[in-house]
Amino acid sequence: MIALAWRNLWRNKTRTLLTAGGIAFAVFLVTFSMALQGGSYEDMIKAATRFYTGHAQINQRDFVTDSKLEQTIGNAAALRAQLEKKFSLVALPRVQAFGIVSREERSIGGMLLGIDFAAEVAQLDLYDDITAGAIPTAPDQALVGAAMARNLGAELGDDIVILGSGKRGGVAAMALTVTGILSTGQAELDRNLLFAPVSSVQDAFGLEDEVHNLVLVLENYTQVKALAAPINDLLQPDQSYRTWQQLLPEVEQGIELDRVSSAIFYYILLILVSFAVLNTFVMVIFERTREFGMLMALGLRPWRIIGQVQIESLFLSFIGVLLGSVLSAALVAYLAEVGIPLSAMGGEAAQQSMAKMQAGSVESIYPAFSAASLTTAPVVLILGAQLSALISMLRVRRLNPVDALRAE
Amino acid sequence: MSENQNQTPVVRCRDVSRTYQKDAIPVHALRSVDLDVHAGEFVSLAGPSGSGKSTLLNIIGGLDEFDGGSVQVDGVELDGLSPAALSALRLEKIGFVFQAYNLLPVLTAQENVEFILQLQGIDKQQRRERAAQALDNLGLGELGERRPGELSGGQQQRVAIARAIVTRPVLLVADEPTANLDSATTEELLVLMARLNSEQGMTIVTATHDPMVMSHAERQVHLSDGRIDRDG
Repeated sequence: MIALAWRNLWRNKTRTLLTAGGIAFAVFLVTFSMALQGGSYEDMIKAATRFYTGHAQINQRDFVTDSKLEQTIGNAAALRAQLEKKFSLVALPRVQAFGIVSREERSIGGMLLGIDFAAEVAQLDLYDDITAGAIPTAPDQALVGAAMARNLGAELGDDIVILGSGKRGGVAAMALTVTGILSTGQAELDRNLLFAPVSSVQDAFGLEDEVHNLVLVLENYTQVKALAAPINDLLQPDQSYRTWQQLLPEVEQGIELDRVSSAIFYYILLILVSFAVLNTFVMVIFERTREFGMLMALGLRPWRIIGQVQIESLFLSFIGVLLGSVLSAALVAYLAEVGIPLSAMGGEAAQQSMAKMQAGSVESIYPAFSAASLTTAPVVLILGAQLSALISMLRVRRLNPVDALRAE
Repeated sequence: MSENQNQTPVVRCRDVSRTYQKDAIPVHALRSVDLDVHAGEFVSLAGPSGSGKSTLLNIIGGLDEFDGGSVQVDGVELDGLSPAALSALRLEKIGFVFQAYNLLPVLTAQENVEFILQLQGIDKQQRRERAAQALDNLGLGELGERRPGELSGGQQQRVAIARAIVTRPVLLVADEPTANLDSATTEELLVLMARLNSEQGMTIVTATHDPMVMSHAERQVHLSDGRIDRDG
């Protein structure tokens, strides 16, 4: 029966090749596109999280909504050490305070971030955007957003003063020297942010071993949800662990929107190809009605004839799936090495879109296979071909052998 | 009465009728037909178009339904048999030869003959031997590896006969087996069928317009307007 099915497939070579070619094209297109999407999502997530946010953050629970100075994580050094020891991650301490930033006669409101410069520079890309000077190396040095520096009229080497409220209500004051200017291209950051060493900010604002954020950079970002439970076990009840999906909802929503709209396109394409297969088997019925009548007359039950054609359909879809998968695998393997420049995929618009999601550092997309990209089109098309053949062949159940034998 | 006629007939039709609806008008294809075909007989059903000969042949072959009466093949009453049981009966007891040969074009002559044995669940070695033997008996021993498209009409019909008899059926049913053949090939085929009948005792019922077929059959049953009007 299997040999017969295989030979039957080649009774009309042109039609078989065209139908298998259609399946192969659909498999190639969908598999490659999904691999491209998967790769771009991965690159986007990595770039967005590596920019500033990290893969996850730990905060005092109310700080997420109120951002008050006193809403801190205590014993931060111990917690940081514990996290880094127990999990494959780096924890970056951040202190955040609001104040008036002044230089000579000019004053503006701003947000002061106390950070561990050496650790942050090693883990995050934000500091690649220093356009003048260098990162601070002394306790009284600051890195200032480009727009803030411009608004203050500050240049490298100038002194600025920050005045705010300390944790215990007193005045917190810092005098810092500008050693670097940061231009991220994101107006809000460039206008409002200045960075200083974390210990200096803690001292000035009356914070002890306290931070507002522990930014976590994981060795493997896909573990971010799996680590939620064990990390939460280490935290106090008033502390929260938030993943990049919560911190950067626009990235996840953008990916999800793209995934859904693409999926609609893919399924329309796969359904169209399944209709082409349906058409093939409708033709098979018309062309081979007399043969089916003869088989029934000889004593073959209709379900065996249907089974025979189902095997033919399986062969047909396997040929297409194999061809499409091999072609897409070859292309993905090549492009996974060399990448596709973002400029070739929509130019400036694509780069701006990436920058909006804090993934502006992505220059090339590298397609990557996933279980879904490898299996979606093959499974849908094999099932579609089976269903198409079955729908066509159900007519055989009602076929009268005498009438079928008279068919032209 | 001959010895055969004392035995249970291979085909026994009693009061068989068949009515079609054609454009909402009833067409009486068969009216109260009685027919016995005994083992070893070579019977031709003859008559003009619309006389009911093909309908009767199809009913005897378990391919068509009948409205009234009783039909037995090898002692099995066909009325009330399920489609599955009818299929099994055709597979095990009846060999078919069709006007248009109806061989599977993608299989060789040998494979076409083996195919029906495969349906019967016979093992590969036995299939090969029996199919080769059947083809050899019909003078096709050298052509087993050819596909139907590479054979003449007469050769294809002989392969079809090999396929029909390889299962050793109790009844060979042939519907206009010579309709697509020239007179020389028809003669060859009829000699072959007569030999099968006389040497192997194969019971043959054929429906035909062809006087040559009728002349080779030992018994001619003539139908007209759905009735048997001459038998003998």
